[in-house]
Amino acid sequence: MTAILSTRGLRKDFVTAKPLFGEATVVQAVAGVSLDIAAGETFAIVGESGCGKSTLARLLLRLIDPTAGEVWYKGEDLASLPPARLRALRRDLQFIFQDPFSSLNPQMSVGALIEEPMRVHSIGTRTERRAKVADLLTRVGLRPEHADRYPHEFSGGQRQRIGIARALASGPTVLIGDEPVSALDVSIQAQVVNLLEDLKDDFGLTLVIIAHDLAVIRHMADRVAVMYLGEVVECAPAGDLYAHPLHPYAEALLAAIPVASYGARPARTMVEGDPPNPIAPPPGCKFHPRCPYATDICRVERPVLADMGGGRTVACHRATELSLQGLADLEQARTPAARGRFALYAQAMADKTAHNRPE
Amino acid sequence: MTATALLELEGLTIALKGVDQPIVDNVGFTLARGETLCIVGESGCGKSLTSLALMGLLQTPPLTVTRGMARFAGEDLLAMPAARLRQIRGGRMAMIFQEPMTSLNPGLRIGEQIAESVRRHKGVGQAEARARALEMLRRVRIPAPEKRLDEYPHQLSGGMRQRAMIAMALANDPELLIADEPTTALDVTIQAQILKLMKSLQQETGAAMVLITHDLGVVAEMADKVAVMYGGRIIETGTAEQVFTDPQHPYTIGLMSSMPSLGARSGRLVTVPGTVPQPTAMPPGCRFSTRCPFATGACATVPPLTDLGAGHRVACAHAPLTATEAPAMRSTGT
Repeated sequence: MTAILSTRGLRKDFVTAKPLFGEATVVQAVAGVSLDIAAGETFAIVGESGCGKSTLARLLLRLIDPTAGEVWYKGEDLASLPPARLRALRRDLQFIFQDPFSSLNPQMSVGALIEEPMRVHSIGTRTERRAKVADLLTRVGLRPEHADRYPHEFSGGQRQRIGIARALASGPTVLIGDEPVSALDVSIQAQVVNLLEDLKDDFGLTLVIIAHDLAVIRHMADRVAVMYLGEVVECAPAGDLYAHPLHPYAEALLAAIPVASYGARPARTMVEGDPPNPIAPPPGCKFHPRCPYATDICRVERPVLADMGGGRTVACHRATELSLQGLADLEQARTPAARGRFALYAQAMADKTAHNRPE
Repeated sequence: MTATALLELEGLTIALKGVDQPIVDNVGFTLARGETLCIVGESGCGKSLTSLALMGLLQTPPLTVTRGMARFAGEDLLAMPAARLRQIRGGRMAMIFQEPMTSLNPGLRIGEQIAESVRRHKGVGQAEARARALEMLRRVRIPAPEKRLDEYPHQLSGGMRQRAMIAMALANDPELLIADEPTTALDVTIQAQILKLMKSLQQETGAAMVLITHDLGVVAEMADKVAVMYGGRIIETGTAEQVFTDPQHPYTIGLMSSMPSLGARSGRLVTVPGTVPQPTAMPPGCRFSTRCPFATGACATVPPLTDLGAGHRVACAHAPLTATEAPAMRSTGT
């Protein structure tokens, strides 16, 4: 594997304002993460609120400065680059935000928004940039004449397409999306997921997707890193992780998914209670207070990520002895007539999109 | 449906000022005691407006119920005086909302909020109401309930707040529970806990539940009956088994196709093209026709919700869709 983006011991502490009495509290939002993201893959980072996944995404582009650690891109450490060089590198590394309503300047026309990254990086002449804007709009499923309109005139799904076009404008190699489809309705989400996958193929992008929706991740990702309280607890190829998780937290996440198949299986609550307070994480393995398999060693000694072979790493003392449950076959059982209708629908949609692209 | 129906909603129609076509159009369902109906649909389909209308919480103006009847244990919720509705709401009919932080009073301790509702509806004294509040916090399995009783909402985590909301909603043993996206704001492991809790409490109390959600996973998990809404109308309804194993409406099929599978990867997702039209730009006839790959001239008239057997009802001119008709339809449709 040739890594395009790597982190080593990446850490970000947030320090609260010092209260009147006592000491300021320190939250380790990202507590020492080392990752290698391969060129051309879709790499997903999952976890629940407060696990540090969004902070990690921002550290990958150095939108915020790390407290410690390194971020390597093409032989350069982003964490220690001077601002000018960093700005130049941002041409290659672009970000898609979750909320298409707040991430686009409402006072700029769509054309100006998409052109802005090109202007910042002095790409092309004004005419060339205009042509590129029209081209990008078409590529993301909008129309060139939309360039003269303003963000408020568009729906959430269309705004996310605008955000994607803007991210693509500087010709990046790596696209990082922080919950890029979470705010969208299911049918619109599917359109944007397809769009991201098409663009990835067409432009040869590496995608890093931060998400909490495990179904979207299963569909999009080649490899997945599971985070818990600032640490990566398991990293594996998506298929392997979903079929045979090695970390109890990964198992608990998979068990909790409400599966959209009637009669498939009820969601199981493997863990009770809330994640612990990140200000005072428990000693030993941070997951041990909620872990159904915790033993004495888990309460005192922090496990480190260990190579399990097959491109998998896991941070669990009991990884080799536990046999955890993944997701079995959960396809919805349907009547033959219903299966026929699904096939008809898929065919009709394929015909329709073949006739008038973009959809 | 049957004599045991607890709630019968008929022809609910809601108008929005300045919009010609109703934004909720002729919505109806029946619900028996102990039953869970899931109303599923995307933003703007009218699912939340339907539940707000039931609770008498529509913002009027600009919204008005122009037609409809909601018989709840013999009385029409849509026609009763506000004072009578206030007696029922929070007592025999309770609500759980998506965001507990905006529905709980931030300036009142958790215990006081629950006790207040108990005092109001049960007419009991201070001490008894507080005891009931404590019992409810225990029942929704909030750890250290004695301590939580005297805490404020902001001191609780999101999951704990949602538990407190559920405790408050169930404190007066309601017969009907209306839950609007109760777990949407929660993490997946917390969501699983809350859904399990709601299910087991419902089994204990025998309450009927209307659950509004956009998540087909939650529907599969919770529903006895399902109503799929699009553009302000119910376009398909039946038992959960009917709707999941034998979906009929092209929108239901499109929605289910849009869901990424948790199984092995399978190429591109099949989508629903385009977006929902604005309320002012709804097509006449079938409101899904602008996005439907099977739409024909027949779709220019409003398709009635037709029973295909065993209570599985679909509003589509082409239902039941079969392979023999469809290719012809496709060529006329494009």
